[in-house]
Amino acid sequence: MRKTMKQAVAVSLISAMALSLAACGGSSNSAETTAAEAAETTAEAAAASEEETTAGEPAAAEGLTVNTTDPITITMSWWGGDARHEATMAAVEAFMEKYPNITVEMQYAAWSGWEDKMSAAFATGTAPDVNQINWNWITSFSSDGSAFYDLNKVSDILDLTQFSESVLNDCTVANELQGVPISMTGRIFYWNKTTFDQAGLETPATLADLMAAGPVFQEKLGDDYYPLAMNELDRTIFMVFYLESKYGKPWVENNELQYTAEEIQDGLSFIKSLEDAHVIPTIRTLASDGADSLDKNPKWMEGKYAGIFEWDSSANKFHDALNEGQEFVVGEELPDMGDYQGGFSKVSMCFAISETTEHPAECAALINFLLNEEEGVKLMGSERGIPASAAALKICEDNNLLDPLVAEANAKVMDYVSFPLDPKFEAAALKNTDGVYYDVQAGLSYGDYDVETAADVLVEGIEDVLSK
Amino acid sequence: MSTKKGFKKWISNNLGLVFILPWFIGFLIFKVYPFGSSLFYSFTDYHLFDGIKEYGLMNYEEIFTSTKIMRSFKVTFQYAFMTVPLKLVFALFIAYILNFKIKGVNFFRVAYYIPSILGGSVAIAVLWKAIFKGDGIVNMILGWFGIAGVDWLAEPKYALFIICLLRVWQFGSAMVIFLAALKGVSQDLYEAASIDGAGKWRQFFSITVPIITPVIFYNLVTQLCQAFQEFNGPYIITQGGPRNATTLISLLIYNNAFKSYEMGLASAQAWCLFIVVCVLTIIAFVSQKKWVYYSDEDGR
Repeated sequence: MRKTMKQAVAVSLISAMALSLAACGGSSNSAETTAAEAAETTAEAAAASEEETTAGEPAAAEGLTVNTTDPITITMSWWGGDARHEATMAAVEAFMEKYPNITVEMQYAAWSGWEDKMSAAFATGTAPDVNQINWNWITSFSSDGSAFYDLNKVSDILDLTQFSESVLNDCTVANELQGVPISMTGRIFYWNKTTFDQAGLETPATLADLMAAGPVFQEKLGDDYYPLAMNELDRTIFMVFYLESKYGKPWVENNELQYTAEEIQDGLSFIKSLEDAHVIPTIRTLASDGADSLDKNPKWMEGKYAGIFEWDSSANKFHDALNEGQEFVVGEELPDMGDYQGGFSKVSMCFAISETTEHPAECAALINFLLNEEEGVKLMGSERGIPASAAALKICEDNNLLDPLVAEANAKVMDYVSFPLDPKFEAAALKNTDGVYYDVQAGLSYGDYDVETAADVLVEGIEDVLSK
Repeated sequence: MSTKKGFKKWISNNLGLVFILPWFIGFLIFKVYPFGSSLFYSFTDYHLFDGIKEYGLMNYEEIFTSTKIMRSFKVTFQYAFMTVPLKLVFALFIAYILNFKIKGVNFFRVAYYIPSILGGSVAIAVLWKAIFKGDGIVNMILGWFGIAGVDWLAEPKYALFIICLLRVWQFGSAMVIFLAALKGVSQDLYEAASIDGAGKWRQFFSITVPIITPVIFYNLVTQLCQAFQEFNGPYIITQGGPRNATTLISLLIYNNAFKSYEMGLASAQAWCLFIVVCVLTIIAFVSQKKWVYYSDEDGR
């Protein structure tokens, strides 16, 4: 009897496993069908969007109205530091006071690990209703428009006329406006003036000044003092700025890399020359510092690294990290790198509504409140950079709400840079710590690659990403 | 009525199965299903956002032709073969000492066990980074003796060693198991050996080690499995750098799955890792006939 029971249990266990595996197979088949359909749809959408980009009209507003009577709960997510959390929470609280029937549940954290978490949420359709997203997430997560709601459909609730056509175009993929830009950003230099004063130098206004500062720092202040510090991604962006200044071509256009291997070798040699001239520390030196990022690096805090090349919206992060008594100033784009005004600006981040939301109208109302309405804008201030919304910018200017450092940096970047940025520039396979940019720049710095090999690896990596 | 009675009787006869049911359901959902689905995905080009477009062996082909992936496997082997013996030797050595009747032995047992509890935490990994960075404590101490500091975290040939050290430092759990085994060794054997003139070392290698070989074997297998799955150390301390010197295969799997969204490739890598661990475990089991002593077996 006992033996029979054991056999029965064994059979049921095996059956259960088999069923489970069969279920995998079943779901896989449906996944296969879905994937095939999705691929077909994507191809069709791509072809259609190519046509529609020039000729297609954005979707019309669907005439949805904000429910002001029934209890509704929506969720919202963002990443950032404490100041951003506090400002956003205050603005969301004000929204809930305006719409007492709407409850907004907030999810927020620091950036570290956030992208991994959100990518899984978007892939599984479990993302919050309203999300602060990185610009490249539109192409990475929703190249067919499947992850984000088309905001054109709620344009009668979310006032899109406050945004320039070009920035809205930057967020339009598959002929759908998948996010509304919060701010525009670009890279610029920031200097620790105190350290430059110690070296007896003015902060650099030209590339020649910067190159000359390296040896002076080494001689007057010591081997561990550098006028500038750059990690692998910073180096790649600076190299692109340099090449665009010299050759007058965008880095990528029409999904094609515009630079030859020889031209890229020139750019990589330029970066290497910065290391050789003691302008920037080697990647080995930075790794030895044991810091996760430059703003957390004690050498930046103490002034041993006296410059950074960063997003204009990051000014405060680096300023606040400095030890007391150090003067932090916004630098200039370097005009003597070539005949052209190289460099790019991009949409810093967007607010987007998840495609799976059940309350698109209420989500749109929340975004409009945060980006366009006086009460929300005043509470949000410039915590996410200089507002892209014309209404918000005016409110901030009238009420003196713009952070002076960010405003100065943003104005300088926007006045100077003149090239577009392809969203795939920030593809995960390129910009992550195990991606191509890091491999190439670290390989060059460690001496594992010569300039020729590094250029070939970079070209191959970029073309691989562009081909997908 | 009789059906109800029969059901009740069945329940009372199989109460154990009822109790185990919640675990079994969880096992099916959280172990068997992911296990099966990852095997399926390993034969596809499944991308988290683009879905599946192709089926075949392309992921396995990539694993065996990609320098980056093969290097990652190589680094994982180096890590495991450096960490496991060091940890076992260290754990056994400390357990042997703590088996003596010395003053404050309980305090030392707790002190040596604590790293096992703390070792996997983010805070300890951050501390490790602070100890071994360029101007960290280790280089500072070396400086006192006039020895030039080393780029522990930045030099590919040292970085893996630092990650290994973190794992070896967490020898507490293996030590506790060894300690329990040492307690089980009969004192009569030591007394007899002493009368015959055997010293402590001789007693250790001729009595202690052979008798506790089943426990050594157990620790070897569990530590080997853990070492091949190490993730926290390289993820937090070095992020796989410098120059991929600490990109263990588990970290590469994570990067492929959650940073590059290449779920198919990550699944195939996970299966390769599983096979490697299985093969090593089988080798360990086969080899035990030659060196593991079970007291209940005749002749050995």
